[in-house]
Amino acid sequence: MENKIDQTLDCKGLSCPMPMMKLAKAIKGLSSGDVLEMLGTDPGTKSDLPKWCEKSGNTIIREDELEGGVFRFLILKK
Amino acid sequence: MSEEKKESGVLAQLFQTFFAKHWPVWVGGLTLGTLNILLFAIKSPWGASGGINNWGENFYKLFGFSNFESAASISTSLYGMLCVLIVVGAFAGALFSKEFAIRIPPIGELIKGFIGGGLMAIGATFGIGCTIGAFFSGVPALSGGAIIFTVGLFLGVIVALKYLMWEMDKFPSFSSGKSFTFLAGTGKKGNWQIWAGWIVTAAMFVMAYVYSENNEVMAWFIIIGLFMGLICQRSRFCIVKAFRDPFMTGEADGSVGVMAGLVVGLIGFTAIKYFGIGAEESSIRAREMTWVFSHFWLRAIIGGFIFGVGMTIAGGCAVGTLWRVGEGQVKLWAAALGFLLISPISKEFIVPPIIKLLPHSTAFKNYLPDYLGYAGAFALVLVIILVWYVFVKWNEKTGKFSAY
Repeated sequence: MENKIDQTLDCKGLSCPMPMMKLAKAIKGLSSGDVLEMLGTDPGTKSDLPKWCEKSGNTIIREDELEGGVFRFLILKK
Repeated sequence: MSEEKKESGVLAQLFQTFFAKHWPVWVGGLTLGTLNILLFAIKSPWGASGGINNWGENFYKLFGFSNFESAASISTSLYGMLCVLIVVGAFAGALFSKEFAIRIPPIGELIKGFIGGGLMAIGATFGIGCTIGAFFSGVPALSGGAIIFTVGLFLGVIVALKYLMWEMDKFPSFSSGKSFTFLAGTGKKGNWQIWAGWIVTAAMFVMAYVYSENNEVMAWFIIIGLFMGLICQRSRFCIVKAFRDPFMTGEADGSVGVMAGLVVGLIGFTAIKYFGIGAEESSIRAREMTWVFSHFWLRAIIGGFIFGVGMTIAGGCAVGTLWRVGEGQVKLWAAALGFLLISPISKEFIVPPIIKLLPHSTAFKNYLPDYLGYAGAFALVLVIILVWYVFVKWNEKTGKFSAY
């Protein structure tokens, strides 16, 4: 099943802290119930993002490994 | 995620324990603190900016600059090699966990990496030490200057974080655009990385063995450096994160991990200094004054501030830069390049004329036990760490000082 996606945030190639800063800012700009798709390559994001979501109350609804070292998160805004 | 059908063996499970997931940062902190004590017991504590400076001096020496003719070659410099091994150890750690990839960011990020690296070099040469020498080792070494350096770091990080947020708001295009990733180890096809990890690790053990014949200390530095790089990569031990995240996302795990390493180091370093352990060829006083630099207080606060700005813009302090170089983050390659190119120039030409103007009362060695006794100095450092802990944990809950 394909999820709905309201906005895509491309953080490929970026390293800490840019992905988390961009993510926090992008989530701020969405409304409750929106889904943000985030693409990235920094391994650090994979542990930072779940921790931040837990703290901020947003939900990770999907996590995928794509080709070429890219990962993808779908985040549902609280 | 690989779908293992058959039950994996005990050794495979052990491998998974270390390389399937990141380690909690405090595990990194405790193990790095312990290895730091071991470095001190063998020779002297952990440092990073000196090693990177050694790389830079060798670079200029290669091009025939007469100022750097006397620089020790990297292969004979303990700290030059320690830095090399941290890169290699992180490379091995990334390969074992299939996290290695050459990640090329947009051009704006490369520029920020280089400038951040250059600022770190200036901060380290002015403040005598980086986040490792003057903080992660300096604070446990009971150096008053290290505590002042830490205050400078904090101020620098806060200012640079404000800059990053401003840049992201006004010039979002600076950190976006074309990026490339090569050699990633996704899925079954990426299993070559695990084999490469074994080859790299084995090669380093062979090298340590070769060194052990004439230079036992170097052999130990090689092995310890290898483990330190690997631990940094697996636990994502990042001192920028420790200072920055409470003011950014409010997250405290990175800070607590660093504090864990400081406390372990504090216990070990105090014992070594108190008993003068390893002072065979030098005086007990010299052993006590190890990693207490003549930067109290003005040099420390200015150096710390510049370093704090640099590491936040680069996204890695001296060691955070090194292990991310090993992981394949090209922004930090630019930072390392900026660091190693600027450091010898700053040390040789920029810093000395400024230092000449400073009165001795603003740049001397402050050894806390000289004023407070060992118990008092130990207690003071412990209380400072505890206050910091309470602050980050309280802030994590309330978000009072966090931007997001």
